[in-house]
Amino acid sequence: MTMRRNAGCNTIDHHVTRRQFMGTGAMAGAMAGFGSLLTPAMAGEMKSKQKQILQVYLQGGVSQFEAWDPKPGTKYGGPFRPISTSVPGLQICELLPYTASKMHLLSVVRSINLETDDHTVGRLFMEKGRKNGDYPFVGAVASKYLTTPDNPLPGYVHITTRGIVDQTAGFLESKHAMMRLEGVKPPTNLERPQGVPKELAIRAEGLRKQLNNQFGGKRSRALIDSYDTSFEQAQQLMARADLFEKQDEKELDRYGRHWFGRRCLLAKTLLEEGVTCVKVTHHGYDTHAENFNFHVEQLDEFDKTFATLLGDIEERGMLDNVLVVIYSEFGRTPKVNHKYGRDHWGKSFSIALGGCGIQPGGVIGATNADGTEVSEREVDGAHLFHTYMQAVGIDSQSNHALDGRAVPIGDPVAAPIKELLS
Amino acid sequence: MQTLLKIAGLISLLLGVTRVQAQPLHDIIDTFIVTAQGESSSIQSASLDDYGFARRVYLDLTGRIPTVSELLEFVGDSEPQKREVLVERLLASPAYARHMQYTFDVMFMERLPKKHVPPEEFQTYLRKSFAENKPYNRLATEILTADGSVPELRAASRFLLDREIKREETVRAIGRVFLGRDLQCAQCHNHPNVDGYLQQHYYGVAAFLQRSYLFTDPSSKVVSIGDKIEGDVTFTSVFTGEDGKTQPRLLGLPEIQDPQQEEQPYEVKPDSKNRGVPKYSRRLQLAPAMTSSDNLAFRQNIANRIWAMMVGQGFVEPLDMFHEGNAASHPELLTALANDFMLHDYDIKYLIKEIVMTQTYQRQSELKVQDFADGNSRYLNGTLKPLSPEQFAWSLLQAVGVVEKTERSVIAALEKEDANFKEATAQSAVLIEGKVSVALKSQIDSIVKVFAGSNAASRFDASADHALYLLNGPEVAKWLAAGQDMLLDQLLKVDDNQALVSRVFLTIYSRMPSDPELKLAVEFLSVGEQGREEAVRELVRTLLCSAEFRFNK
Repeated sequence: MTMRRNAGCNTIDHHVTRRQFMGTGAMAGAMAGFGSLLTPAMAGEMKSKQKQILQVYLQGGVSQFEAWDPKPGTKYGGPFRPISTSVPGLQICELLPYTASKMHLLSVVRSINLETDDHTVGRLFMEKGRKNGDYPFVGAVASKYLTTPDNPLPGYVHITTRGIVDQTAGFLESKHAMMRLEGVKPPTNLERPQGVPKELAIRAEGLRKQLNNQFGGKRSRALIDSYDTSFEQAQQLMARADLFEKQDEKELDRYGRHWFGRRCLLAKTLLEEGVTCVKVTHHGYDTHAENFNFHVEQLDEFDKTFATLLGDIEERGMLDNVLVVIYSEFGRTPKVNHKYGRDHWGKSFSIALGGCGIQPGGVIGATNADGTEVSEREVDGAHLFHTYMQAVGIDSQSNHALDGRAVPIGDPVAAPIKELLS
Repeated sequence: MQTLLKIAGLISLLLGVTRVQAQPLHDIIDTFIVTAQGESSSIQSASLDDYGFARRVYLDLTGRIPTVSELLEFVGDSEPQKREVLVERLLASPAYARHMQYTFDVMFMERLPKKHVPPEEFQTYLRKSFAENKPYNRLATEILTADGSVPELRAASRFLLDREIKREETVRAIGRVFLGRDLQCAQCHNHPNVDGYLQQHYYGVAAFLQRSYLFTDPSSKVVSIGDKIEGDVTFTSVFTGEDGKTQPRLLGLPEIQDPQQEEQPYEVKPDSKNRGVPKYSRRLQLAPAMTSSDNLAFRQNIANRIWAMMVGQGFVEPLDMFHEGNAASHPELLTALANDFMLHDYDIKYLIKEIVMTQTYQRQSELKVQDFADGNSRYLNGTLKPLSPEQFAWSLLQAVGVVEKTERSVIAALEKEDANFKEATAQSAVLIEGKVSVALKSQIDSIVKVFAGSNAASRFDASADHALYLLNGPEVAKWLAAGQDMLLDQLLKVDDNQALVSRVFLTIYSRMPSDPELKLAVEFLSVGEQGREEAVRELVRTLLCSAEFRFNK
């Protein structure tokens, strides 16, 4: 990466190169301090704990210029300044001050090129690690391979508002498909119909099991068992309706009383309860007009809430086992249009990720001076998918074993971003 | 001698040249399966009793469970040929066309949303095709040929038009649906794990469509498919970097060369106002090449799919993975079936009837020997078949009494319109079924949406939201409420608990309860007068939630 003149701001010294983890020194200290708090038994327990994923999806395409890859004083850089972060030498946009103080927990990938400017194609590529085909989403794969058999909760939950219906499980069993929560409302049909006494419902559940055992006794069990499991999952969800009850007021003060705050608080609860993959969507980044004003508003809501959530996850010692990814289906055009908007741009944009063994404090790849194309270490959805999988301990270069066909988990033409994996 | 004759019949089918069939196909199938299993015949499951047979054929041929009266009428019939009679009656019923419409719609369109052709129009087209028993090669020809420009065949163009003839979707669909081969992985390179899927196969199919494009009529805005005379297919392997090119071709068959180009190559020249129509269109070579007798893959694929639809398991599984490394369990039998289907002019009803009349089809799913689960692949026992979302929706509405109630009101309305209306004619049956389907469409669709929600394919799916729908959904609660003149009211009129339980079992499982089941259920109902209605309702709901109702056993 070349030095460049920065007219808008004095702190031009924010050039970082790939593989250069400037936070290493600071982190080593932090890790040592953290490590000393743990007894060996606790450490062992954490090691054996189920790996989890938190996906924070900034729907519509957050601008890389206004978030992870600021280009102050350049042709397309926009009005905002970069700020320093908890990682010396790493700067992000000034719209993310709280997140900046947590950057020692995250790394940034600045060199993503999806070669598409289409919402759906971009979203599917970022989730499936494949540009097309009937493949499962990150969350469904995680649900399949990481969820322990005794875990009563669904493996993949998405807290959102809008009803985009994707085929999230692909060829995996549908119990790994995304369970969609409408904001913080409980799942559909969670409440027993009126007029069914509890005692009768319990007897009915017992009768159902007896009938199934009788029916399954001399038949091949796989299908019957999976049908049975769906009823057990339903019963367990009904028993945990409390997860969706009123949220703690003090916590809401910390997370923010807006929708995104409530959703992130629910996400934290679900992670603590052991849901394998929790996806939270923050809507509204498709800023074809008034890009800058909208980013001020959107990121103001995102920043403090997300930093609070990340801080809580870290404080509870969960970050060793939770992969956190903040992503969009693409970024936004360098060129600002006549409505002060930025349009769709999949050619050079960024995401941030951390936790679960991801090297913190790093920057992978770079864009050129004006941010119009990737200049170093180009990656796409397939590389990212491999990286997520490797981080949570799934060998993405092996195969799904399905009814007679071997399907590679990650796209064989791509590989994980090794620099991020410790 | 008998066996020799059968084998002679089989050999002629294998050769696929003549039709010197000494034995009906269903006998040949059974002979073959029994011969192939050798000594393991001792673990072969028993045959279905009349109750089990009725439930299975109603589900497989009409897409719903039988009513209690249909069931008891069949069971009580002493006619020795009654199974064949029932099969023929069901194949002639309008419900057969409806069921086949659903099945083939999902196969062709995989629940893709509407783009240019309303799904309902495609479904109506399919229903009519199955009602008239259109030969399968003709159906395939229409679907692969229709370009949306001719109103009468506009519906059939959904296969190509609603995939917008995009290469990824269309080539993959043609490969899977018509050739039994998922060539997707051969797009960028020869398939890494499957020897027989070559890049040239993928691009051979692509080459039929390479010169086609979507044309939007400037005045009507109607979108159809136009063709040009240029556009060749080339490809590069991302693994080896080798380049290749191909003319249109299907798998290993020869490339189809273009004829000498005429001086005036177009009937209609493509421009912004006119859909291009060349004198020679590569796209129009697809259907003849596909349905040609040279193309064994076409008939093997459909024979395998219809066999799997009926018996629950294809000779080749997964259905879209025909290749050398994934050999058919009974390769000769598959070829025989495919050839016989072709020799019978792709008569779908014929093939289905022959399969249903086999002993193989009529075997129970209950295993003779405990812990023996390996018989499936050899057809020693019946396969447990999950109901498709549509079968489940119709069966659910049938069980709770919605279907019969709707039928009653449809018939009443028809009688009111026409004093001479006669319910029991074939014509009336079509009329009644049509009106009932229309009346129930929104309810059927809402159930299908829940049960097919997360899954485009027709394979089995079970997730918590299905269970929550059945346990707690307001729709189910409404169907099970008292005072609806449906199942619950009928049951509440029965005082004797044993009789009531039998009625519940006949309605939902299409059979009588066993003694232990009778005891269990009667005990469940022993709650005193106060809670009787709730207990009866929960008994019904529990059976609807149980595995036996979810499967075609």
